[in-house]
Amino acid sequence: MKFSYNWIRELVDGLDASPADLMRLITIKTAECEGVEETGGHFASVVKARVLSVESMGESHNRKATIDAGGLGKRTVVCGAPNCRPGLITAYVPAGTSLDGKQIGRRVVEGVESDGMLASGAEIGLNRDHEGIVELEGAPGEPVDGCVPDAIIEVDNKSLTHRPDLWGHHGMAREVAAITGSRLREPADCSRIDKTSSPINVSIENFELCPRYSALVFENVNVRPSPPWLQYRLQAVGLNPINNIVDVTNYVMAELAQPMHAFDADKLTGGAIVVRNAREGETIAALNGESYALTPAALLITDAQGPIAIAGVIGGMDSSISGSTTRIVLESACFHAACIRRTSSRLKLRTDASMRFEKSQDPVNTERGLARALELLMMVSPGIRLVGGMADCAASPKPRTVIDLPMDWLRRKLGREIEQSEVVRILKALMFVVDEPEPGLLRVTVPSWRATKDISIKDDLVEEVGRMIGYATITPIAPATPTTPPPANARRKLHRELRQLVSAQGFDEVYNYSFFSEDAARRFGLDPAAHCAVANPISTEQSLMRMSLVPGIWRNIQDNARHFGEFRIFEIGSEIHKQDGDLPNEIPHLVAAVFQHTKETGPFYEIKRLAECVLPGCVPQPSAARDFEHPSRAAELAWRGKTVGRVFEFHPQMVEGRAVVLDIDLGVVEELGPEGKRYRPIRRFPSSAFDLSVIAARRALSGDLETALRRLAGPMLESIEFLRQYEGEPLAAGEKSVSFRLTIASSDHTLSNEETTAVRDAVIQGMRELGFEMRV
Amino acid sequence: MLETQLETLAGTVRARILAAQTPDELEAVRVEALGRKGTIADISKGMGKLAPEEKARIGKLLNTTKTGLESALAERQQEFAAAALRARLDAEWLDVTLPAAGTRPGSLHPLTQIQQELEDLFTSMGVAVLDGPEVESEYNNFDALNIPADHPARDMQDTFWLSAGQCLRTHTSPVQVRGMARLGPPLLMIAPGRVFRNEEVDPSHEHTFYQLEGMMVDRDVSIAHMLFFMKTLLKHIFRRDVTVRLRPGYFPFVEPGFELDIQCLICNGEGCPVCKQSGWVELLPCGLVHPNVLRMGGIDPEQWGGFAFGLGLTRLVMMRYGIDDIRYLQSGDLRFLRQF
Repeated sequence: MKFSYNWIRELVDGLDASPADLMRLITIKTAECEGVEETGGHFASVVKARVLSVESMGESHNRKATIDAGGLGKRTVVCGAPNCRPGLITAYVPAGTSLDGKQIGRRVVEGVESDGMLASGAEIGLNRDHEGIVELEGAPGEPVDGCVPDAIIEVDNKSLTHRPDLWGHHGMAREVAAITGSRLREPADCSRIDKTSSPINVSIENFELCPRYSALVFENVNVRPSPPWLQYRLQAVGLNPINNIVDVTNYVMAELAQPMHAFDADKLTGGAIVVRNAREGETIAALNGESYALTPAALLITDAQGPIAIAGVIGGMDSSISGSTTRIVLESACFHAACIRRTSSRLKLRTDASMRFEKSQDPVNTERGLARALELLMMVSPGIRLVGGMADCAASPKPRTVIDLPMDWLRRKLGREIEQSEVVRILKALMFVVDEPEPGLLRVTVPSWRATKDISIKDDLVEEVGRMIGYATITPIAPATPTTPPPANARRKLHRELRQLVSAQGFDEVYNYSFFSEDAARRFGLDPAAHCAVANPISTEQSLMRMSLVPGIWRNIQDNARHFGEFRIFEIGSEIHKQDGDLPNEIPHLVAAVFQHTKETGPFYEIKRLAECVLPGCVPQPSAARDFEHPSRAAELAWRGKTVGRVFEFHPQMVEGRAVVLDIDLGVVEELGPEGKRYRPIRRFPSSAFDLSVIAARRALSGDLETALRRLAGPMLESIEFLRQYEGEPLAAGEKSVSFRLTIASSDHTLSNEETTAVRDAVIQGMRELGFEMRV
Repeated sequence: MLETQLETLAGTVRARILAAQTPDELEAVRVEALGRKGTIADISKGMGKLAPEEKARIGKLLNTTKTGLESALAERQQEFAAAALRARLDAEWLDVTLPAAGTRPGSLHPLTQIQQELEDLFTSMGVAVLDGPEVESEYNNFDALNIPADHPARDMQDTFWLSAGQCLRTHTSPVQVRGMARLGPPLLMIAPGRVFRNEEVDPSHEHTFYQLEGMMVDRDVSIAHMLFFMKTLLKHIFRRDVTVRLRPGYFPFVEPGFELDIQCLICNGEGCPVCKQSGWVELLPCGLVHPNVLRMGGIDPEQWGGFAFGLGLTRLVMMRYGIDDIRYLQSGDLRFLRQF
């Protein structure tokens, strides 16, 4: 929301703070200002001028104009505007003026020296008209009526979300007056409005959605451009000047936060306006040229024939003001915030009106709006006549909001002492009515414009008092500290330990998005339909919630392989699994990968080692490969009796080079909890060791051989260690020899040679019975 | 006669010991002079012919000479051994500047690092660390935080919705709701985590970023308490005293609500591009917990009060390391990540 410094100064008596100071005050006490910008500085030197003569400049579209600039004398300027004609009063920008950051100088255009320039409405910030030079009234040498240098303070809209009253200059002026202790001027004089009879009849069918609808009828209207001061002011706060009638409605909105609408009375059918819910499928052609189909949730303004406006959002095309309009109906109404918001979001149509109504406007304000508009219309449309009085239909007024504020409670909330008299002074400055029904208790009546949504409980008053005394006056106090340790978070502890462990093994941590695309899902063998789908994704690349971290890691591998020949990465994040009728199941996973730009064996055993670091004693079980996995290099990981994850190499068609991946379900790991540990006495008698080599088929699993050896060695086996494997002469093709070292021991004596030999023989015998040849 | 012969011999051998250039030469001298068939042995063989008193004298002289030569020999051997060791050690010269073997250490993501640092800080202050899901119910993300449907405050956060009607949490605040339900009052908690806003991504905007929510619920919690907590927090984050400024800010789940600004650490409040010349940097939205939020969390606002705050972790990381493009954080680009 843009606020004009001059406008606020008009409404606050004797305000002498500079724009920058005012911005600081507003930021500290009321709402966040984003910046302040000087505007219209050129109006200090721009004057009206009369075009005396216009001469052609040959082939050029430019023409040489001689002008009378009053006190500045006669000047010669080059002007390309088609409407530059003798007798025209327009705006002259003398050389040396800074216009929109550009210095206007004396410059030679196509051989003619132009001493300054004639300006369009857009160039001097009156409106958006670039078509020609601005057409004014008055005498040469005069300043442009009512246009003086101003400063625009931009306030963050988000910080005004709860303040319907601050969507107009008067509301902000009220704050400024309270902050600076100045007197506030009331721009609307309601006594000018006669409340008896109106030529138009207004009725409301749904008082909940429309608590009040007020209107005035005018005749002898003369639609034409607004005077420069009005255009300048609207333009400066970001509203587009259109014509005097529409400009007045926008001016009132920008001043009093009361959106208004003017209908061409002669284009309305019947003498009545009815506010009602739309009928299913009812359509309206709106002012913006679009046609909108409505649902019964929307509220319409209708005449005898049908919709003439979408309440609180936009007017209808058919009843809009045009150059030939002579009679108008001026609407000033109040609509239900949520209703307007729903309609405007459904139609994807946010207007200056809907933005205000959705903040919960004050029904009391409709009358002020009309009173102010009446005064302005008299100024900008000479000869205009009010017909009758105000048509006004309203729900019975809401009872005033009254809040009991105990002083000791207020002090406890603020965390500092404060005199009751100071609280009363602050609240009164903000136009609350304050009584003291009993000592130490304030009974606070909330003004109507703060009572629609903003202020309803005593906590809201803490803010009013706090911001006005200044939060800087509150001294920090240590809160009572707890004496118990906080509850543990086992998940975070696990994740933190894993991060330390895995990064210490040389892996760099990455973060990937929680989204991926349908293509990614399919590429990784996942059904897109099984995913949680984003209803309003930023792009199709991010339309699903990830059910696996592997696609993200795969993408990281592709990206980084362009810069590195070898790397290790990992991520800890959640897989998001759809659950019908409930929030998705979010399962934390650890995914780690090693990439090598090589065709060699690849880093499979490195990632397996990482698995063993993370899950000591885990056992990979060969497993059918998924499409994106290397068909001969994929395994499930079993740990403590559960399947906890997977280790695999990417299919060579997925990655150029070799990339191996470890994917662990940390949900299961967390469920299993830390492994219980128990001390076993250290053996006191020496052990004996012997080596055995087993001849087996090339693809026999050494893990299976080891299991068999372990079983056959019996209880005396202390450890078994893989030594090496061998293929080639003298073994037959398709065979390998796998060598192990078995260490046996007894807990109560030193083994004799005979005992050792007996175990060894039993193992050899057992393996032979299993069909394995032994090299001993 | 023998005496003279012995002296001459001793002089010659001694000279040859000193002159030996290699251990082999030295050994040859030893064998020739001191070996079983060596010259000394020869002389001692010739002693039999001597008179007994002469024999004793010469025998003594012979022993002295032999011992003397043996120790000269040993000394020379020692010298050779020392030289050999020196030569070996010298030959074992290594280029200590060659790269180390093995894998380079990995790194933790900067967001992990800052989260862990803050978790440690808060835990030391007795604060519980809680978690919430990335996908939240509309109720937890909005309604329970005093942001009912059709409230304009919903516009403050562009929301990703799932087809099933849930949303991606737009802030970590729903963990307040979960924390109140789980722990009840008194309550002191933080919840760091990933949040989402439906925004186009550019160097300063991301649809995925990290926040840290904090909440305290206790008897008689005041703005003064909140200020103390925030100042302590900021002092530890920035490892120096920071000047703060509290001003009104609107968040439906707190009342009163504040924006806490810190005096710009770059220019110390003088005004610079980082603080847009204002001298202040907006850092911590906070406030006293709205009674509606307490009530919806099953806590009686007449008995209990609280404060809550939200810290932008992503922003903090960017400030700390001077990162000028937010997109690197989720890029997985090792050229970026390995710097941390």
